[in-house]
Amino acid sequence: MSRALPTIVHLDADAFFVACEQARDPSLVGKRCAVGGTERGIISSASYEARACGVYTPMPTTRARRVCPDLILIPHTPGLYGTVSRRMFDLCEGLTPWVQRNSIDEGYLDLAPCGLRDLAAVEAAVRGLQERIRAELSISVSFGLATNKLVSQIASKLRKPRGFVVVPPGEEAAFLAPLPVGKLPGVGAKTEAMLGSRGLRLIQDLLALSPHELRALFGEGWREMVAAARGQDDRAVETEPDEAKSYSQQETFAVDLSDPAEVERIAKGMVDELMPKIRADGKRVRTLTVKVRYPDFSHASHAHSLAEATDLEAPFYAWIGPLLRAAWTRRSPLRLVSVRFSSVAAPELQLEMFAETDDRRRRLAGVLDALNRGGTARRVKHGHQLSRPPDSGVSDRG
Amino acid sequence: MKFKINRDHFSNGLAQVLNVVGSKTTMPILSNVLIEADKDFISLTTTNLDLGIRCKIKAEVKEGGAVTLPVKRLATIVRELPNLDVSFDASPNHQVKLASGGSNFRIMGIGKEEFPPLPEFGDEKSFTLDQPELVSMLKSVSYAQSSDETRYILNGVYFAFRDGKFSLVATDGRRLALIAKEMEIPATSAGAIILPAKTVSELLRMLDKGEKVKIDFSDRRCSFQIGTDKDSSGLIDSIYLYSKVVEGNYPNYQQVIPKETHQRIKLERELLLQCIHRAALVTSEKANSVKLKLSSNLLEITAQSPDFGEAHESMAISYSGPELQAAFNPSFLMDPLKALTKDEVFFEVKDEVSPGVFKTLENFICVIMPVRLS
Repeated sequence: MSRALPTIVHLDADAFFVACEQARDPSLVGKRCAVGGTERGIISSASYEARACGVYTPMPTTRARRVCPDLILIPHTPGLYGTVSRRMFDLCEGLTPWVQRNSIDEGYLDLAPCGLRDLAAVEAAVRGLQERIRAELSISVSFGLATNKLVSQIASKLRKPRGFVVVPPGEEAAFLAPLPVGKLPGVGAKTEAMLGSRGLRLIQDLLALSPHELRALFGEGWREMVAAARGQDDRAVETEPDEAKSYSQQETFAVDLSDPAEVERIAKGMVDELMPKIRADGKRVRTLTVKVRYPDFSHASHAHSLAEATDLEAPFYAWIGPLLRAAWTRRSPLRLVSVRFSSVAAPELQLEMFAETDDRRRRLAGVLDALNRGGTARRVKHGHQLSRPPDSGVSDRG
Repeated sequence: MKFKINRDHFSNGLAQVLNVVGSKTTMPILSNVLIEADKDFISLTTTNLDLGIRCKIKAEVKEGGAVTLPVKRLATIVRELPNLDVSFDASPNHQVKLASGGSNFRIMGIGKEEFPPLPEFGDEKSFTLDQPELVSMLKSVSYAQSSDETRYILNGVYFAFRDGKFSLVATDGRRLALIAKEMEIPATSAGAIILPAKTVSELLRMLDKGEKVKIDFSDRRCSFQIGTDKDSSGLIDSIYLYSKVVEGNYPNYQQVIPKETHQRIKLERELLLQCIHRAALVTSEKANSVKLKLSSNLLEITAQSPDFGEAHESMAISYSGPELQAAFNPSFLMDPLKALTKDEVFFEVKDEVSPGVFKTLENFICVIMPVRLS
């Protein structure tokens, strides 16, 4: 297999959350719709029709309603996006074992192990995958195909939705040259404006500069910037995902909450949601941080670390209340609460002698995880989740 | 109160009681040593209310009496005195004059009335043990005590006198060390106590000064009378050590000792210790385990940490069972190997989630829970 054959594919699902909802309810197709918090949350995904109206992500829902009054707002469907994402990446892995999942809706593939002979064969394989995802999941995905990650990623985002951009080997620099500098990784809005003010708008403008000028603009990182502008990148597609550094969940309340018991119940519910993920990853965590946000968006947090990392809910339940009280010091209702687990422990687990209780809890947790797996809603809940008053709605979960 | 004493004897006596002081803020007198002169000896007593020590030192007593002095400062001064002959003279207002050669000190003391007396024992359960044997037994288990204050029941060594055996047990919930010796236990004296970690370390410091040690205990407290007949630096009679015990139920340790033996190998203790020690050099806080792998006549010990590297050690052994492996915290393996003195130990292992067990022919067992690698 030739080194020059472009086998690196970047895939980027188009308006992923909305696409999942449209796949579930085809009547939404072609409509101005968005997934997001219904009351006071933010838009997390908008259909291309809605985007045409000026809806973008992340945008506060109230503002989105103003710019697009007939926007159909779809609440998050718990579990749906993860399931569709898994099926999408499963289809990718049917093509090549080298799949890097960057996030729920985006990742890289390396087709090198497929042993394809030429560019046409690679293109055909990727188009086949795009079609299969379309047919089986009813969602559309944009692809960029190139010799490296950098170029394929820029290519996939170039002609969304349903894009399919191929950059033949040797044409990387020519492909990037006419694009705005903001397409390069590491060039954000600020840098782009700064460069623009100096007349540097396109990637090719950077290549015309002398090393001296480049150093003045980008400092020590100027060589990386030039390499990027030339479309050079040698990062490999990483099949092992980066290990999670923390697990967190937050909830913006439909109405500001001032009842500590209710906030505590919601926070404990987050422990129940996060811990199965931690167990599924074979990890244990030691530190719990509870953060609160007030209606004026100011926030405070408090944390506690256990003596030993654990993958069980019970040791953390007792800390939710105290940490919440320690963080929630102002006499004001709350807009949001979040729970975060960190100090993720190595996979080593020192076994204990007198730990029958933990062993029993772990067996119970395993059974609950199995029962709750796969469905869109938790089937078995802890008793502390039963006290939810009927009028308290939940607006978004991130 | 007036006496003459040998400086080194005095210093030795103070060194025995020096470690047991109370917190200064609550009761200042607890940082003092009670010095009582009587006949031909002085006795030195310190206490922190949980633990108290008293020893007796030869002295030439001219006038009996008692006073208390700050023990740390006094010990430092006595150690530094220029001449072997020391004279000690306390006035009724608790000021002490200390003289040796050309050195003269005047030290402010406190009267003995405020000093809490050490409880004396009446009709408790009582046993007499050999000091060298108790030292060796204590050393074989004491490393396994827990230092986690939330598991206070495990912050000590369990002394059990029952079923014709005297047993010592220590565990931190991850490893457990047990040593026992056969002993006649009268039914009325059977019982057990948890000796607090601090008392264990003081006891280990005191022991081996004589032949016998007598232990008296009840449900709440215990005392040791440690014979000093082998001591040649002024101690006379016995050292008296009083201690409260850890109150509570010691866990049922019998249930964690595997009943069946799966694969047993005989190992050279020193060699195994060295191999584990070397392999452990590459471990880190996050990757703190060594893997033991048994195959035909071979024991391999490996360790690795992702950010540093790996180590591989091998030892020829006599083994013909199936291939087995299990990982352990290296300290848990090394602690018993360091504490034991026999050349050979037996190691029993079953699989990677079952405990590993060290045994010797002297009724010693150390059960070590493995580290599960996923």
